[in-house]
Amino acid sequence: MDKQMSADRPKERQVMLICGEYLTPGTLDEAFAAMQRHRGRYRVVAGCTDTLPWAREGRAGDVEIPVLIDVARIPDLRESRVDDHRVWLGAATPIQRFLDDPALGRALRCMPRCAVWFADEQIRAQATIGGNIVNASPAADVTPALIAYDAEVELAKSSGGRILRRRMKLDQFVIGPNRTALEEGELLIAVECDALPGHGGSFEKVGHRRSLVISIVCLATLVKLDAQGRRFEDVRLALGGIGPVPRRLADVETFLRGGPLSAARLEEAAEMPVSLVASRTRQAYRRDVVRGFMLRGLINAARRAGAEAGALPPELEAVYA
Amino acid sequence: MPDIRLEATINGRKITRNAKPHQRLLDFLRDDLNLTGNKEGCGAGECGTCSVFVDGVLMKSCLLPVAKAQGAQIETIESLAKTGELSLLQKAFHKAGASQCGYCIPGMVMAATAAIRANPFADREEIKERLGGNICRCTGYQKIFDAVEMARDVQNGRLPATIFSEVEAEQGDYIGKNVRSIDAPSKVTGRLKYAGDMTMPGMLHVQVLRSPHPHARIVSIDTAAAETMAGVEGVITSADVPGEDGFGVIVNDQPVMARGKVRYVGEAVAAVAAEDLLTAKRALAAIEVVYERLPAVFDPDEAMRAGAPVLHDYAPDNITKHIPIRVGDVEKGFAESDLVVKEAYSTQAIEHAYLEPEAGLAYVDHDGVVTIVSPDQNITHHRHMLARIIAKPIAKVRFIMSPVGGGFGGKTDMIYQGMLALLAMKTQRPVRLVFTREESIISTAKRHPSRTRLRMGLMRDGRIRVLEMTMVCDGGAYGLSTGNVVHKAAVLAAGPYVIPNIKVDTYGIYTNNTPSGAFRSFGALQAAFATESHLDICAERLGLDPFQIRRINAMRDGAVTHTRQKLGSVSLSRVLDAAEKVSGWEAGAPVSRGDRRSDLDRDDIRPPCALGARFAAADKQEAAE
Ligand SMILES: Cc1cc2nc3c(=O)[nH]c(=O)nc-3n(C[C@H](O)[C@H](O)[C@H](O)COP(=O)(O)OP(=O)(O)OC[C@H]3O[C@@H](n4cnc5c(N)ncnc54)[C@H](O)[C@@H]3O)c2cc1C
Repeated sequence: MDKQMSADRPKERQVMLICGEYLTPGTLDEAFAAMQRHRGRYRVVAGCTDTLPWAREGRAGDVEIPVLIDVARIPDLRESRVDDHRVWLGAATPIQRFLDDPALGRALRCMPRCAVWFADEQIRAQATIGGNIVNASPAADVTPALIAYDAEVELAKSSGGRILRRRMKLDQFVIGPNRTALEEGELLIAVECDALPGHGGSFEKVGHRRSLVISIVCLATLVKLDAQGRRFEDVRLALGGIGPVPRRLADVETFLRGGPLSAARLEEAAEMPVSLVASRTRQAYRRDVVRGFMLRGLINAARRAGAEAGALPPELEAVYA
Repeated sequence: MPDIRLEATINGRKITRNAKPHQRLLDFLRDDLNLTGNKEGCGAGECGTCSVFVDGVLMKSCLLPVAKAQGAQIETIESLAKTGELSLLQKAFHKAGASQCGYCIPGMVMAATAAIRANPFADREEIKERLGGNICRCTGYQKIFDAVEMARDVQNGRLPATIFSEVEAEQGDYIGKNVRSIDAPSKVTGRLKYAGDMTMPGMLHVQVLRSPHPHARIVSIDTAAAETMAGVEGVITSADVPGEDGFGVIVNDQPVMARGKVRYVGEAVAAVAAEDLLTAKRALAAIEVVYERLPAVFDPDEAMRAGAPVLHDYAPDNITKHIPIRVGDVEKGFAESDLVVKEAYSTQAIEHAYLEPEAGLAYVDHDGVVTIVSPDQNITHHRHMLARIIAKPIAKVRFIMSPVGGGFGGKTDMIYQGMLALLAMKTQRPVRLVFTREESIISTAKRHPSRTRLRMGLMRDGRIRVLEMTMVCDGGAYGLSTGNVVHKAAVLAAGPYVIPNIKVDTYGIYTNNTPSGAFRSFGALQAAFATESHLDICAERLGLDPFQIRRINAMRDGAVTHTRQKLGSVSLSRVLDAAEKVSGWEAGAPVSRGDRRSDLDRDDIRPPCALGARFAAADKQEAAE
């Protein structure tokens, strides 16, 4: 008989994350100093809504981290600003702010709709956009929506007493499931993106229930129409949940830009991203959803962008709006 | 470990305390401040039993490291009825009958309070949305939404506050009346103590070492290192059982902790009682178990085949229970039938997911009575079994049923009470075990997954002549309620229909899966799913309306079932009439429908789930801008 003898020293089972110290620096300088002091023994946290559930049985399980450095209280990271063209969001901006701050909601029409589907009221008050981005879950909701706004990330680290900053496109920053271009000792400081108050926005999402679910598929759509409300002047689309990283749909955007809101063009556009589905499970289902969401997203965003009465194909509007 | 010096205002009272850096706000409130009104249901932000206000914003305290409360104003459920008078929402929850087991209710009341604070005029859809972070398993939410709407309307002067004091049932006249549940105030205030909320002086914390293997022989267990750890007061294995080990419902095939071998992933192997939880956890890591893996079987059909791995020596065929029922002449029935329809059906395992994970407290009292306090749905039976297991006279064993924070059948088995008794006896101190949600899911019984093969013979006019059913239920590693579940499945296999010829065989089978056990409906679901689905298919084949085929075969008052039970009154016809009416049923065979269904899209049917009730106005505005 094939005998497999094994001495199982069971893994320690924790109910939670165990840490020796929990630091709450009040400034960026203090945060960098703490990171330097505890190099190799710390982990950065913000809202903790990914980190705490991750440290439970069945996932990471036995997590004992000597030092946790909580950056959520640093005023610089908590701020958000809007001007006519750009929006600046500190990394520790809580998701709920997209619903609570009317100026943000107007500049970023997609974000309140993304936020309302995100977890629940309570977690949204705590969860941060920086955590969503750096956690880099393939099912993240905020990341694809921000990608549709051409978002850039601002990163910083401390070196030889100086703070080194760099920037990169958000869709290049997220490189795989739970992987980003963040370097050792680096913090995500902020996200900067276009303000698009003239665009209509939609965020389509499906999960197992309506609150407290992660996306099986999500789609962020932004549409600006011409003065007559009959043609696409600008389109922005980004898909989440369909593979290792969120995808901006540049080819679909180019295809639609300048064209009419006709059924033929919408349906052709809806077909284009279907082949991008590369998730590990439920591919056929996700392809169907992508096709439907494309129509729903474009039609809803176009209506909200002020589409002329009758400009949208009524047979599609009847089903998808 | 440097402690955190925490300054905060808790329910209006300023406090300055030391807290451990790894504590969550929930631990700090419950363990250090004894504010046990808010509960822990999942520890992962999913259920909302722990919802508290932090600086006026509702948050899930299981996801908040305590340091995040530095300088904050915290309000727990205890803050709402501080003067003793219930808050508006608490009164409405009481009046509407919105609390059942009560475990989700403190969090739910907090979420409702937050919703009405955010928008005092929120409509039902918006209320649903704002309560989305809180889960309830008893009510189906309708009564909860009713309560929130009632409180909203009283607050806005649209309903009189006297509605709360109205009494529907007069003394002695309760039937058909709404009766106020007398324990609701204790639930809506969080005052009711569930087992996990209880503490005793000198109490130790218990943790359980569980099997990582589905089937393995235990070669050795070395507890020496764990036993000598500072703070560890007792370690037990099956060697500590003084009496006749084994519990169950019909067969006592399950040892208190694995004896000789493990039969499923998550089975208890050893347990530790220590001064604090962390020490107990660390002690588990110091226990060394050597296993010799055995071939395992996960499919009940495979387990029934000759040569399959055997789980229990007493059942070499892996059969826990077989219920055969024979009525009339099945072969003749098929020969006489105009139509024979054959199909296979399957159902999956389901977790009860009560909001209260298992918890229990045990102590040996001054008279030497071993006392177990737990949300146990079958205390008398368990008392008898435990007396035999710990070799004590029945008078020296006492079970106290603590409030059950949802059971649905899932708390009818003595899964952990035995370990608590042994540890209380060994340490002579009170001991408490509180399961994590993960532990509750991996180690406790589920609804039986089933596979049913069904063959039915019918006459052209819809009369059923014969039914032949074979159902195989996966009972998992131990018997628990399997015998009774497959028994009930067999009894209900023919549904409420008159069928002259019947052959039913239901089987409960041992596999190395998580044990299956009691779950409300108890075998009826699996059988009814097969029989009723089958009737719809037969109706389609015969061109009959699904209601009609049921009426044709319906039992009537005075009918005798296939297991010889005489039924005084049979309400089936009335149930069918009512169902047909409220569903707006479109009469006809299932094949006759066109592409537009008149029974859908009606005003009295709930729309599909969507979010964004609060955007309805914004939509128009966005387009206008
Ligand atoms: C019940 C529940 C429901 C959820 N629902 C959703 C949902 O619907 N959609 C969704 O997208 N997510 C959801 N989440 C996941 C989670 O809430 C989000 O990903 C959230 O945005 C994470 O932010 P955080 O600040 O809480 O992250 P944290 O847990 O604090 O951090 C996550 C990661 O980011 C890193 N990090 C955080 N901030 C910085 C920074 N400034 N610089 C460098 N690194 C940083 C941390 O080191 C860590 O690795 C849900 C979580 C729960 C518990």
